[in-house]
Amino acid sequence: MTSLLTPESPVETAPATASRKRPPGVERFRPQARRRLARADLLGAVGWLSGMAAVALWLADGGASGFSSFAGTMTALGIVAGLIGMDLVLLMLLLAARIPVVDNAIGHDRALEIHKSLGKPALYLLLAHGLFLAIGYGAAEGLDPLSESISLWVNVPDMWLAFVSMALFIAVVVTSLVAVRRKFPYEFWYVVHLLTYAAVGTAIPHQFSVGGLFAEGTWQRWYWLALCIGTGVALAWFRVYQPLAASFRHQLTVSRVVRVAPDVFSIEMTGRNLERLAGSGGRFFLWRFLAPGQWWQPHPFSLSAEPVPGGLNRPGKLRITVRNLGEGSASLAHIRPGTKVAIEGPYGLFSTAARSREDVVMIGAGIGITPLRSLLETTPFDPGHAIVLLRGHDESELFLGQEIMAICQARGVTLYHLTGPRSSGDHAWLPRNAVNDGFTLSSYAPAIANADVYVCGPALWASSVIRDVQAAGVPAEQLHNERFDW
Amino acid sequence: MRIRAALATAVASAGILLAGWQSGAHIAETGTATTTSLNSSATSGGIAAGGTNSGGGTTATGPSSAGSGSSSGSSTGSTTAATYDGASVQTRFGTVQVQVTIQSGKITEVTALQLTDAERKSAQISSRAAPVLRSEVLQAQSANVQTIGGATVTSDAYLTSLQAALDAANF
Repeated sequence: MTSLLTPESPVETAPATASRKRPPGVERFRPQARRRLARADLLGAVGWLSGMAAVALWLADGGASGFSSFAGTMTALGIVAGLIGMDLVLLMLLLAARIPVVDNAIGHDRALEIHKSLGKPALYLLLAHGLFLAIGYGAAEGLDPLSESISLWVNVPDMWLAFVSMALFIAVVVTSLVAVRRKFPYEFWYVVHLLTYAAVGTAIPHQFSVGGLFAEGTWQRWYWLALCIGTGVALAWFRVYQPLAASFRHQLTVSRVVRVAPDVFSIEMTGRNLERLAGSGGRFFLWRFLAPGQWWQPHPFSLSAEPVPGGLNRPGKLRITVRNLGEGSASLAHIRPGTKVAIEGPYGLFSTAARSREDVVMIGAGIGITPLRSLLETTPFDPGHAIVLLRGHDESELFLGQEIMAICQARGVTLYHLTGPRSSGDHAWLPRNAVNDGFTLSSYAPAIANADVYVCGPALWASSVIRDVQAAGVPAEQLHNERFDW
Repeated sequence: MRIRAALATAVASAGILLAGWQSGAHIAETGTATTTSLNSSATSGGIAAGGTNSGGGTTATGPSSAGSGSSSGSSTGSTTAATYDGASVQTRFGTVQVQVTIQSGKITEVTALQLTDAERKSAQISSRAAPVLRSEVLQAQSANVQTIGGATVTSDAYLTSLQAALDAANF
């Protein structure tokens, strides 16, 4: 069933941010998008160049002199593989460190995607490092690679630690393979993943002693010291200190839990200094409810309303809307008012910071509708320049639908409710009725090619939407997608 | 990443690698230069008192008595042992210098006077490599033996110093 709501005439008392007037013809968001893409390119280049620099510094310290013999060549190849492998491992740690520069440029989920894609190459390089060096050293001493490995393990100080490190890296990568990861609970994967720090820690001694990475008087020493210390500081600062500081700064406390639908409820919180979170509607935090049996589990949820700063006598307000997805979410329904909340965030690019055009199209399904609700509240656009498509099996699945309709009426947004059983085939994200009646994406959003498109919903559904959005000629910089199933 | 950025990155990568290689080649040359100066420092170090040769390997052309002051006997005596100090070789991990004992025309002992010890770890490596090198040298009766994997720098310096000592001994 497709219901069309024609926009009401824009109401004069629109929210303050919405009335940010602009002269006609001035594009507000293109410069911001240009800067963001330039930053993303720069970060990508820095990533590549860091690996190249590792090799270049090794060459500068006279590394190429080994290539004259077979043993020397094998040894040199092994060293190069180890250098790039170590560089990739440090890059992976930096990508997972939630550094604001990275998050603002490419978004948290893209950063983690790259992090994942580097896992296997890094492991292969480290394996090649061990293999080539065993061959190279073995050839120099007249031993076969296996005997050489054993001799390295037994005779060379710190080498047994390097072997342990190798085993840990293998364990971390194998448990992260999709097929393996599905077989174990999240907590198991998480604990094994923490071993990465042990793997890096056990790899460093042999870089000091056997390898010349940190040898006095070499260029490499300064490069690797800076890289290792920088990575450690970034992790400590952004993953430990900043979340603690934010939790103390905002002092969030659950004020009430409201049931929105049979398995969906809003958790409302009060807190201090919430004006510092202005504009984070649509972005997500990791929430830790400090109650027995709960505190150790962080939940990724997006804000479902723009934070309301407090006044003289009243505290600020914050709201998330969640669905019973996993065991963790289910127990959240029983969170008591008064529970303290620790936060990490805000993270992600599902916000005004990602805008590149004047027009906005938002497409959401299920619980993915709720971040759109908070984004719709504040992101700037002129009346008539925004379109919202909400998808659910029936009206009761369009969570916060009433609130969204009220915002649409106030800000001059065209709103479509797309309900009914899903269609099969190419446009599976649309209801069957709509497809049968000949509706496509461009029936709802004819000018989509020149709009920012925000998509939020279950992964399969979202990928179906994204196919249609791309087919409608929307380039990547205008497409903003938040994965909601992790 | 956009194509222009990717191209720029590729060019920059090539540039960095080339620059690294260039400055590395430069270091390799100064490395040889260091070896040369090592031999001359060996000269002043007393291996070859009469040697005025500023060049490379043929440092010690003098009689075998030109061996270091610690020669324990007249050099020509075929049954007496004579010791010769090798050149002290600078490496980036520290200085390496060996002493060789020659008796009845055979290398009977190699002692490391100084080994790479710039850091605790290099010292550990040296202490692993030195005994192996010693036994290989005693077996081969020359400095022409394999270097030790994982201790290339130390091995090279060890053998260079040894060769200087053997040259000094006219071995």
